[in-house]
Amino acid sequence: MSIAQVQKFQVVAHSGVKMEILSALQEEGLVQVERTDFEELGLNSSAVDVYQLEHNLYRLSHALDYLSRWEEKGFVKRLLAPKTQIEREKREEALGFDYLSVLNEVERIEAKKNELLSELKFLKKEMEFLDPFKSLELPLGLLKPTETTQILIGSLPVSGYEDLQKVPGEEALWYEMVSGDKRRYYLLLVFHKQERERMEQILRELHFAPFYFTEPVQITEPLLSRTEEQDRVKDVMRKIDEEMQSKRLMLEDLEKEEKKLFEHREQLMRVHDVLLNEKERIFCSGLLGETERVVYLEGWVCSSDVKKIKSKLQPFSEVTELYFRDPLPEEDPPVILENPKPGKPFELITKLYGLPQRGSFDPTLPLAPFFFLFVGLCVSEAGYGLLVALLSFLFIKFAKPRGGLLQFLKLLALLGVSTVVLGTLVGGWFGFPIRPLMVLDPLQDPLSFLYLALALGFIQVWFGTLLNMINSIINKRYLQALFVQGGWLLLLPSLVLYLAKRGSIWGILSLAGAAGIVLFASPSRNPFARFFGGLYSLYDISRYLADVLSYSRLLALGLATTVIAMVVNNLCQTALGIPWVGWLLAALIFVGGHLFNLGISFLGGFVHSMRLQFVEFFSKFFKAGGSPFKPFELKSKFVEFI
Amino acid sequence: MALGFTLAVFGGALAVVLGGIGSAIGVGLAGQASSGVMSEDPGKFGSLLLLVALPGTQGIYGFLSAFLVMLKLGLVGDVLKSASVYQGWQILIACFPVAFAGLVSGIHQGKVCASGVYMVAKQPKDLMKPVIMAALVETYAVLGLLITILLLNGIQL
Repeated sequence: MSIAQVQKFQVVAHSGVKMEILSALQEEGLVQVERTDFEELGLNSSAVDVYQLEHNLYRLSHALDYLSRWEEKGFVKRLLAPKTQIEREKREEALGFDYLSVLNEVERIEAKKNELLSELKFLKKEMEFLDPFKSLELPLGLLKPTETTQILIGSLPVSGYEDLQKVPGEEALWYEMVSGDKRRYYLLLVFHKQERERMEQILRELHFAPFYFTEPVQITEPLLSRTEEQDRVKDVMRKIDEEMQSKRLMLEDLEKEEKKLFEHREQLMRVHDVLLNEKERIFCSGLLGETERVVYLEGWVCSSDVKKIKSKLQPFSEVTELYFRDPLPEEDPPVILENPKPGKPFELITKLYGLPQRGSFDPTLPLAPFFFLFVGLCVSEAGYGLLVALLSFLFIKFAKPRGGLLQFLKLLALLGVSTVVLGTLVGGWFGFPIRPLMVLDPLQDPLSFLYLALALGFIQVWFGTLLNMINSIINKRYLQALFVQGGWLLLLPSLVLYLAKRGSIWGILSLAGAAGIVLFASPSRNPFARFFGGLYSLYDISRYLADVLSYSRLLALGLATTVIAMVVNNLCQTALGIPWVGWLLAALIFVGGHLFNLGISFLGGFVHSMRLQFVEFFSKFFKAGGSPFKPFELKSKFVEFI
Repeated sequence: MALGFTLAVFGGALAVVLGGIGSAIGVGLAGQASSGVMSEDPGKFGSLLLLVALPGTQGIYGFLSAFLVMLKLGLVGDVLKSASVYQGWQILIACFPVAFAGLVSGIHQGKVCASGVYMVAKQPKDLMKPVIMAALVETYAVLGLLITILLLNGIQL
């Protein structure tokens, strides 16, 4: 339960080796570089220009994204595929690959493909537009207005067609239906030019929608270029179809080229990650203070890593000077949590709440056993625990994750183990309790389980108060520690025992604890204010009571899992009664139901156990507010630096 | 006799219905918010699903309580038990905590989750924080469930 010692790290170096030193530090990844206080030191900073680099990075990630569709399918396979590894020192070698020409090629293909696709879409529209008229046997060249007649083609709603039939008896109009569907009829109309205005008026009223092949206003350029005098609609459509075919072939060729480029993907990934770190390094150089000849860098480093940094910068010893010192009282160094291996995964929970302030301590180890136990009790289903532990273990083994994900999976595996043990003791295996192994059946005897949950809560709350007492001692508030926190530590258990057993000794001890709280809780010097202030703080007992009662959720969540598992099995049994497909249905219900229950019970168990740590436990002793340690290191997106 | 039995069944049904209404409204609120966020950023589906699913527990608690009522009445097994009118009322009232706490906490948890969805849209890394906030609301549904279970356990048929 500790926070690692952090030291201030300062380097003064010759300007010539600025980037080399940064590169070495980045490789090591152990230093958090801080912004130099330029004004106070009277130093300059170099202007950072990464525009070109960022542009190339953007192009790279776009190209990688674009090529990723050629990736081998199979979700599990991709999930488990370990990343390509690159040696740290040799990372610059990746830049020997001519990635810019590959990028140009990818971008050219993409642009060309998009062009072809939009052309194809356009041609398809034209086909749809022509389709109703394909049985029209007239050459398009004849569909032009003559001196006395107007020729129109277009469509009419079905309802308008009847009205049109009433028209021709008296008017100089001839028409023919070319085709029709449910909603519209497609017509060829001929009428006398003298009647044009009136005819157009009538047609408008009938909601006639004209199609203009022949009047250049509406004709699309490509359609016109494919039309010759003697062509019929069918012929135009055939020509369009041919054109579409050839464009599709071109697309296929481009796809092939693209697939070939996919071979370079791995190299592009390397280049991307190397350039990404190049960018980080240039950014970092902007934090440094500079004069004409000298650069000044400062940052934080974990005390145990000082040696490594010294040896890493050994090659530059001629032109650099290193200083290490402990943080000054007014400084706020970043916080590095330091825990033994089994406690490490639980750091995630502490980090979620916030890192400890300077002078406080790391609550990870104190919370770990409780969290471990609580999740097990909340899920209390050994089968689910085994499944989660096994899956996390397999994922760690095959996908080889690192960093936060690895810790999370380890945490899941640990919680799975806890669930197996506690599930066997107080729950069951997939809804089937194994009676001989059980110590307590919460369904038969929920009260005993409730007492167990409250007892665990009492222990954790009491322990939290004990930690607060230690906190007070560390911060030299001895009176507080001895009489107030000590008073609570004495009062709480003896009060419980007094209420349970009525022994007068417990009553006296309770009063002694309470007296300590009443007399010392208030800092006031006025005796009256002090007494009543102390008396008021005794009222905190209700908070302690509420905190302990909050742990009853362990029972509720544990029971919920067990009962839902039972319901699933019950449904399976009912399904088995169905003839022929009963077993299949039962199997589906069993797998689906238990997976569902696993999901919600682990989610509930995780979240509620976490809440118990944050609200009930941390509130007793822990103050967050430290800033996390963010080392200047090699970042990776696609590859892994070893 | 029959009235007692009916009252008990009414209790179980009430637990499912009210818990279900609470969860449905809650999940609905969070779901709407997350669809809005996903229209901008479809990649957030996984993390938002967690927040949307969270107010769903009240319905499950109600379902669970109803199942316990059914166990009590022998509706799940072979032999139907008989309940006096008083026992029927007792079972009905025993279902109140999970039903009403579930109804109200489900709706409010949904609101917290919906605002959590907006938070995740801006701070994708802080997913667990709104989840914990939502769990604070859920506490009261859990307590309701707990009392319902204990009450049902105490009523002897």
